[in-house]
Order: sequence, then structure tokens, then C-alpha cells
Amino acid sequence: MVKSGAAKRGSATGLLLAVLLASGAGIVTLKAATDRVVRKKLPGSSIIYIPSGKFLKYAAFGYRGLAADAIYIWAIQYYSTPAIDDRLDHFDHIFAIINELDPRFQDPYEVGAMIAVQEARDALERARDQALFSSLIRAAFAILDRGAANNPDQWVYPFDAGHIALMNLKDYPLAEKYFAQCMKIPGAPDFVERLRANAIFKKGDLKTSWETWLDIYKRAPDERTKKIASNHLYNVKATIDKEGLEGSAAKFRERFGRLPADLEALVRTGFIREVPRDLDGKDYLYDPATGKVKTVISPWRR
Amino acid sequence: MKIGAIAGITFKEAKRDRVLYLLFFFAALGIVASRVLAVLTVGDRIKIIKDVGLASISVFGVLMAILIGTGLVYKEIDKKTIYTLLAKPLHRSEFILGKFLGLVLTLLVMTAAMAVIFLAIVYAHTARVEGSLLVAVAYIFLELILITAVAVLFSSFSTPILSSLFALAFYLIGHLSWGLELIIKKMRPGTGKALVRALYLVLPDLENFNFKTEVVHGLPIPPAIYLSSFLYGVCYTAFILGLAVLIFRRRDFI
Repeated sequence: MVKSGAAKRGSATGLLLAVLLASGAGIVTLKAATDRVVRKKLPGSSIIYIPSGKFLKYAAFGYRGLAADAIYIWAIQYYSTPAIDDRLDHFDHIFAIINELDPRFQDPYEVGAMIAVQEARDALERARDQALFSSLIRAAFAILDRGAANNPDQWVYPFDAGHIALMNLKDYPLAEKYFAQCMKIPGAPDFVERLRANAIFKKGDLKTSWETWLDIYKRAPDERTKKIASNHLYNVKATIDKEGLEGSAAKFRERFGRLPADLEALVRTGFIREVPRDLDGKDYLYDPATGKVKTVISPWRR
Repeated sequence: MKIGAIAGITFKEAKRDRVLYLLFFFAALGIVASRVLAVLTVGDRIKIIKDVGLASISVFGVLMAILIGTGLVYKEIDKKTIYTLLAKPLHRSEFILGKFLGLVLTLLVMTAAMAVIFLAIVYAHTARVEGSLLVAVAYIFLELILITAVAVLFSSFSTPILSSLFALAFYLIGHLSWGLELIIKKMRPGTGKALVRALYLVLPDLENFNFKTEVVHGLPIPPAIYLSSFLYGVCYTAFILGLAVLIFRRRDFI
């Protein structure tokens, strides 16, 4: 029996569908099987070939903003995947590309610096990796510096940089520099001035700190600010007096071989002209056993 | 036999295509120019030469597959030579497979020629034949076979311009689909995740044929991936060709 044309076509179609089904199943199965094979990766190889933003600006064919958006979205996913061990190797490079492609795109500056600081803290706390900590903190400053340079009207970048210097790096001169830079930008909030005064105090320049807080106190627009400045003035004066009194007590011990019984003894022996009092006119508390001086009340609970 | 005859004619036809030689010229130029690029770098020059060379073979090979492949079937329909061919005792599936194999043969010759130039350039720098580079070239060729099948598929029902765009889109998707894996990991379990997972499995993953990094840096390649990647390429090509035949069988040329 010879098969009819229609029957032949029917069997050919059936065969074709069988091929499609079999190859389709093969695709899915083999895809899953191939994914299970762990391939060796080169550290940083996933991003090492990303060229500089300067080049990409031309390669983006006018779609710079879109290219910046795409890389930013990718970067967020990339840096929030801890499984990629070497993801932090080219951190600043990636954010520099985004900044170069779209210098007015604000989020990458803040978010990039935030990720860098968070990862830096993790590096120090979990892995005790001082080198990675330093490199990431440098990256955070580099990103924020670019933000400030590209957006001179935005106070938030020097503010963030000052905050990182103050809180994470404990680099008070650097914090003061950034807060001073921030204060010069129109729209910067009043509290930046107070943060700068606090940074000056923490770096140990008590005289400038006193002058700065006094200036803030005099120009305070409301009672709350006046009170804050007053508390800081109290603290600065107490610190100056405490240093003076404890230093004199130490000298007293050098001469007499013992600590003074009270602060009046320092006046009687000529180490100080008079016993200072705190900003509220109250006496300081002196411990004759240790030679330490403290205020009767916390500066922040006056 | 009939498939062989069609493939032979297609090969002869492709040989006369000036686009092929133009692309080959640029590929050779790219491979040779890698020497110039290497001069501009500091450090590992041979790495730059290998990277640029393999990229040239891959990119220009894909362009050859797309630009020639997308016109293969369309030209026969446009010039009405398809009537003469199909009037003979020739199955449409044989016609499609012949066209596909003819272009694959052309690409094999072109890839081999590019590989020879590439190996010669590498030899000029290292004074040794690096056979491991051929692994990357072989899998580039496997990728080109799949792209050829895609070009033939689109050529069977669309114009060359649209077919080129579709095939190019297939190529781009194939090299970007791995990103779905990242999305899947971040998604909460549910229908959405299952859908994305299904999409991930179905979409082409041309990174399975990409051994360039491993070969250039001398990283070990797990033996299991050779076979699974090869079979993956074969299955995908068979699927695409099956679709092409299915569509072409139902086409009406009048």
C-alpha cells in the first residue's frame, strides 16, 4: 500500500512536532545541567572590561542618561549580592562611570557612598580587613567629592563626607573641613554649623571651639539652638578648666609627692590664681584620691 | 543527497557574496590590529591580542551568519527561483536543511581561516601554537551554527532587514539572559518567580559557548561543560530548524 500525500504530510508533521518537543525538552534539561557545572571565574572578571565613563559617553550614542540608569540599576543588584566575593574590587570605578555619564544624577553619589561605608564597616568588624576598610572609605570620599564638584549647589555631599569623617573615620580635622565647605552652600541647614563646632572641639582646638559656639549662641534664632549652644559652651569651658585643674594637681604631686586635698590647696600653693567654676557658677567636683575633676551635672542635662 | 546538493549550491552562492569577503577583511584587520592595541597597553600584551582576536572571530562570524543567513531563503522567494526548486521532487525541509548546511559550511571555512590568522599572530608573539585557543574557537563556531539556524528561521517568513534585527536580538538576549538568574535569586517564591524561571530556561544562553575568559587566562574548564554545552547547542539548533521547517512548510508563495 502506497501512502497518500495527505497521510505522508501528516506523518511528517508528527515527526517534526516530535523533533520540536524532544529538542525543547533537551534545551531545558541541558540548560539546567550546564548551570549546575561550576565554572572557574577570574576575580573581578565580571566587570574588569567596563571601560571608563569618558569612553562610554561616546559609546552611548547620546543615551548617556539611559546608560547611567542601566549601570546604576545593575550596580545596585551587583553590590547587593554578597555571593560575589570580589565585587568590591572596582567599586569606585563603577560609580565613577555612572557619575561621568550623568553628573547630575544625584542618587548614585549618596547611595554609592552609603554602600562603600557599610561595606567598609563590615570589612573591619567581620574580617578585620583594615586595607579594604581604608580603600572603601577612600572610595566613599571620592564619590562624594565628585558629587560636590559636579553639583556645587548641593550641600548634601560635603555634609555626608563630613559625617563619614566624623562618625566612621574619627578624622575631626577632615570633618571640620567638609562641614565648613557645606556651610558655604546656600540652603545648608543650621545644624551643619553646630556639627562643625563639635568637630573643632573633638579635634582638640578648644579655643576656636569656644569662639565658634559663642558665635552660634549669640546668633541663635531660637531658644532651642541657644540652649544647645549653651550646653556646648558649658562643656567646652568645663573641659578647659578640667584640663587646667588636673594638670595643676599633677604638678602639685610632683612637688609634694601627694595629690592636693582640695582645689583650694592649688591656690594656696600658687599653682592657680583662683578655683574656676563652671558656666553656671557651680563648683567642680574634685576627687583627692585620683586627682580627677568633673562637673556636678552632665552638660547635656542642665 | 538532495540536502547535500542544496548545501553545495548555497556554499557556492555564499562564496560569491562580497559581504562575506568584506566581513572577513574586517575580521582579519581586527585580529592583526590587536598587535597595535597591545603596543598601547602596559603589561600583558598577549592577553590583549587573544581577547581582541577571539572577539573579532566571534563578532564578525555572527555578522556573517546574520547578514548572509537572513537573505538565504528570502532571496529564493524574491527572485522566484523557489518555484523552480519546489516543482522538483524536493521536500521543503530538505531545502531548509540544505540552505542551513551550506551556510554552516561557509562559516566553517571562514572561521577556520580567521583562526589560522589568529593563531599565526599569537605564534608571532609567543613562538608556540596554543591549541587551547581552538577550544574557544570551536565553541564560537557552535554558537555561529545556532545563529545561522536562527537567521534561516527568520528568513523563512520575513524580510532580510527584519530578520537581521530579530537574529541580532536573539544574539543579544542570548548573551544577557544570565542576568535573569540574578533576578530569580532576589524574587520571592510564587508565580512571578516560576514564570521568570521558565523564561530563563527557555531563552537562549549563549554564554554556554563562551570559553574566551577561561582560555585566555588558562583557567581550568570543567570537562562536564564541554558535553552539556555541545548538546545544548545541538538541541537548540534542532529546535530552531524544526520551527523553520514547520513554518516554511506552511508558507504559500502564490
